[in-house]
Amino acid sequence: MDQSEIDAILAKGAAKPAAAPPAAAAHPKPGALPAHEDQGQVISELDAVTAVTERETNKVMDQLDLISSLVGTQQALITGLMQHPGAQDPGVQAAINQVMSAGKDIQDKVYEAMDLMQFQDITRQKLERIVFHLRQIHDYIVDLLGTGLKSEGERASISRTIATTGTTPDEKRAHADSVVAEFKRSLSKD
Amino acid sequence: MKILIVDDSSTMRRIIINTLSRIGYTDVVEGEHGKAGLEKLGQGGVEMIITDWNMPEMDGLEFVQAVRAQNASIPILMVTTNAAKEDIVQALQAGVNNYVVKPFTPDTLKEKIESLLG
Repeated sequence: MDQSEIDAILAKGAAKPAAAPPAAAAHPKPGALPAHEDQGQVISELDAVTAVTERETNKVMDQLDLISSLVGTQQALITGLMQHPGAQDPGVQAAINQVMSAGKDIQDKVYEAMDLMQFQDITRQKLERIVFHLRQIHDYIVDLLGTGLKSEGERASISRTIATTGTTPDEKRAHADSVVAEFKRSLSKD
Repeated sequence: MKILIVDDSSTMRRIIINTLSRIGYTDVVEGEHGKAGLEKLGQGGVEMIITDWNMPEMDGLEFVQAVRAQNASIPILMVTTNAAKEDIVQALQAGVNNYVVKPFTPDTLKEKIESLLG
């Protein structure tokens, strides 16, 4: 993500004054933006980060899809090659089989990489949680100062447990499965 | 079999669609939040739902409740980052048939789908 992309999103979503640098936010100087406007700017920037990372992750997914498609094409070509009279030598057939096997390994790794892209959604939701808390602080300050500029817009609900969620698949699976099983047992008893 | 995927993350929808295609389910429709999910469901033909919880407009819990008000039998799998016991119980009480915590492996998704359809 570069600054022009962030600026474009900010210009579209929130026409607010330019942000004070983080150091200024931590130690406000005379003439700096009021605290609640800084807060709104930070929220907008976090929103921009999530939007841009989602878009960039989809670009990576596009490339993985392309690799997957190219491997598929290669496999089809090699299958055709195996039927060729000149490829009937046992040594050639063994070599072709090795190439096919390597192609399958590449395909499997591409799928694994696609699955690992779930990190983007996990990270996005962690940022959503931070935004949620910033908005609470923002609204508290607005109430305190009586400016009437409360948070606007409906946002996604946030996960209460996202702060402890890892990015490795199935870390919570056993726990979730046991809760589901316990719930179903309790229903069958009723 | 047509499967409806409801998730506000386009990346996550893509990952789920990709996983489904690897296990043989290619007929998929998508919604980016609960309201969009209800619209897709209303168009007919959906035989299973995979939904996120945390979404704008209408979250996954409200969506499940709305679906159950009109369809008691369609299998619903919730795939979410919400991992607290009370969340899981709340989702099951709302009418979810099974629950997967993100991030998941393709094998987990496959197992849950097959158990719901089995």
